[in-house]
Amino acid sequence: MQHAESMKEYRERLQGSLDNSFLRETLDKFAVAYKANRLTIFADINEKELIQEIAAAKDEGLTKIEELYTQFKDEAEKRGVHVHRAATAAEANEIVCRIAKENNCKLVIKSKSMTAEEIHINHALEEHGCKVVETDLGEWIIQLRHEGPTHMVMPAIHLSRYQVADTFTDETKLKQDSDIGKLVKVARRELRSRFANADMGISGANFAVADTGTIGICTNEGNGRLTTTLPRVHVALAGIDKLVPNIHDALRIIRVLPRNATAQAITTYVSWMTGSAENTLTPDKRKIMHVIFLDNGRTALAQDEICKSALRCVRCGACANVCPVYRLVGGHQMGYVYIGAIGLILTYFFHGRENARNLVQNCINCEACKDVCAAGIDLPGIIQEIRARLVEEEGAPAQSTLLAKVLENRKIFHSLLRFGKFAQRPVTGGTPYIRHLPQIFMKGQGFRALPAIASKAFRDRWKDIEKSLPANGKIRVGLFAGCAQDFVYPEQLEAAVKVLAAGGCSVEFPMGQSCCGLPVRMMGEREAAEKTALANIKAFDPARLDYIVTLCASCASHIKNHYVELLADAPGMRTEAQQFASRIRDFSSFVYDVLGMKEDAFRNSGEKIGYHASCHLCRGLNVTEQPRKLIRAAGDYKESKEEDVCCGFGGTYSMKFPEISGQILQHKLDNLEASGAATIVADCPGCVMQIRGGEEKRGNKVKVEHIAELLARQLK
Amino acid sequence: MATIDKEAVELFKQKAAPVSIKVVEVKDMAEAVAYALDTCEKKDFCELVYCGTEQTSAGIVKAEKKMFCAPNLTDKEYSALAALGAERGFDMLRSGMRGHLEGIDVAFTTADGAVAETATTIIECMSEDVRLATMIAEVHVVALKKSQIKKTSYDVEPYLQKLMEKGVMYTAFISGASRTADIERVLTLGVHGPLELHIALMEG
Repeated sequence: MQHAESMKEYRERLQGSLDNSFLRETLDKFAVAYKANRLTIFADINEKELIQEIAAAKDEGLTKIEELYTQFKDEAEKRGVHVHRAATAAEANEIVCRIAKENNCKLVIKSKSMTAEEIHINHALEEHGCKVVETDLGEWIIQLRHEGPTHMVMPAIHLSRYQVADTFTDETKLKQDSDIGKLVKVARRELRSRFANADMGISGANFAVADTGTIGICTNEGNGRLTTTLPRVHVALAGIDKLVPNIHDALRIIRVLPRNATAQAITTYVSWMTGSAENTLTPDKRKIMHVIFLDNGRTALAQDEICKSALRCVRCGACANVCPVYRLVGGHQMGYVYIGAIGLILTYFFHGRENARNLVQNCINCEACKDVCAAGIDLPGIIQEIRARLVEEEGAPAQSTLLAKVLENRKIFHSLLRFGKFAQRPVTGGTPYIRHLPQIFMKGQGFRALPAIASKAFRDRWKDIEKSLPANGKIRVGLFAGCAQDFVYPEQLEAAVKVLAAGGCSVEFPMGQSCCGLPVRMMGEREAAEKTALANIKAFDPARLDYIVTLCASCASHIKNHYVELLADAPGMRTEAQQFASRIRDFSSFVYDVLGMKEDAFRNSGEKIGYHASCHLCRGLNVTEQPRKLIRAAGDYKESKEEDVCCGFGGTYSMKFPEISGQILQHKLDNLEASGAATIVADCPGCVMQIRGGEEKRGNKVKVEHIAELLARQLK
Repeated sequence: MATIDKEAVELFKQKAAPVSIKVVEVKDMAEAVAYALDTCEKKDFCELVYCGTEQTSAGIVKAEKKMFCAPNLTDKEYSALAALGAERGFDMLRSGMRGHLEGIDVAFTTADGAVAETATTIIECMSEDVRLATMIAEVHVVALKKSQIKKTSYDVEPYLQKLMEKGVMYTAFISGASRTADIERVLTLGVHGPLELHIALMEG
């Protein structure tokens, strides 16, 4: 086993991937094409409904997994199949090796199976003296190169045709052309003889139908059909979570899996194997068929109230397809065996802390994966839960603990922020940016200019602002500031107050409010996250207010989606947490939907305005139309490519992985630049900070601001 | 008399095109057979893929005689077909596919069902010969009756249920030629199985 990798070593690996221009270009093209193709292929299907059905059916199935297993075993055995159950990877390997020995198998061929990779079956069989050949083209290529997969569906996506030609040249001892059509033919020729001579075929299973004892596999190449037909012995490996009650459930998985994986309506082949079918090589002319269900922690995970939904996964790989981090660094850096967001999670549960520790930090929490997940899994939520468990299991890194301690006490936190504005004086050079911080504090942060702390925080300006507001507004609004705006961008809040007052609100700013708690939750500091939530609820006394408005999409999404669950065990707080969460609104949808401020409320300046759709607004809160309509009311909206892709900020993420944050930002800036916008607005101060800092670094003269500032300026 | 869901038939044709399935409308089984034989006639000789690693990798080896197989026809259907194929000089066979893993030219089969929304044909493949023929042939021609086409996959659920609950079965959903995009995501047909899938769509 390798030594435990340090964060420093992991970051070095990430840098290696960032420097691989072929990988970057390939994944970029793929990310853009996938989204467009996925939209098309879901056009004639109710996607959300299908996903909900999958989630509900999988959840239901997990509660009766023992029943399903027993039923499957009975039905399959009636049809001549041997059914096994393996508690661990080692046990599964032992069973496979025993079957190989009993049947005198020397050459083993495999069709693609993530479960087989999970248990490292090739290694076990080779130790046992068998030769193992992968037959999925991508898997065969990486096997020849002694590499792991970089995508669950496209394992060799990181390689170029030239690298494949070199690999095939080495394997065949003949010079191979780099033409892709010819390379595919090389595989056809080379692998056919392996199919013909193999003694055992190993497949996975995309589903196992309990009702009829059927396993099903989906493949495009057809290697699955040959693997399960030609050899005398067929061993299918399946996670026990692949059991479904009936054919309807299987058909439902077939509807979603290829659509979400590769934007196909269906894979070219779906093979349904009900019992051991004909095989002319055996004495009784029936295939020797074994199905092994692997547990490896799954039944325990099924009991884990917070993380069990990870077992709904159908292994489509879509979470990698849309991940802005995966797009930059590829699969070797985004998983151990399983790849992408689900890979970060399953590594922790199937392959242990050691392998998961650094990986689970590498999620920017943009929720793009959650948005496309075929089974509706809250992937970022589970990743954060795992971070919390890692902190509980092995303690937190020093900077995390410090932040947690500071945030738990609002007064200390706010004093520190106020102190910061004096401390930073020597480094700002009189500009709104931090310019001359010693290298030690700025490591890797060179991709953006960081803002300075404002000379007077919003909370210290509030008394004066409050005096100028009209009393007796028709709607009572509590303003939730969030740290970034309170202390760094108070002008954004001032602008918002102006708009809210114009819309007829009376605005309150409770002084006891503090950080929403998202940063500590991201770091796995559960207790600090609970304490900040409690403090905010107490400060607002939500029942008195009609709405609580925040200009920070991340705060809004965190409060709305997580406060209730965070405080589920806090005595007597459930109702208030619910009241708080249900009153929270983001600024744009509040102004447009609740205040009804539309075209006639604003002067249209005609200026070219670009928009960045903040992750926690468009996905966290499903607010997409309102800000765009408001922009159209105030100026000339210039749409840019990939507006809803993360800007790379991700709060503490950009401090932890600045090299990745910086690269994601460059994509964003390129797209915004191409739109020709002179002003860029967003609904989140973090995004404003990131994009403004990047534009400043590029020396671009575009204005980057919060949408509230634009609207306040254009108020009629 | 089986009824035809015209909407489903149109949908099948519409969904077949983007996944490179060639759909040809024919009157009956005789026309479907003629179409399959013509296809075999017109195609290039089969590229043999299994005659020892060194030889095959060195270059393309072509068959000298066309081979045509039809593993799931009834005896009557097969004997009519075999006579016609022999006239054209093809080697005709309906079993023993394991002996021809280096490749055959055309596999002709009849479908057991179809799903329009994904252009899927369903073939019961309990027999090893049916499974192998539909994989090792360069061109696979399926005879499908319009009345067999259902609109969605859920519409074939009762059929599948009946098929699988009665005993041992190997069922194939086939929705195109064997394909891969594993090298640079470039779509390439014929990686392990057929390079082409044709549907001879029969009235009735």
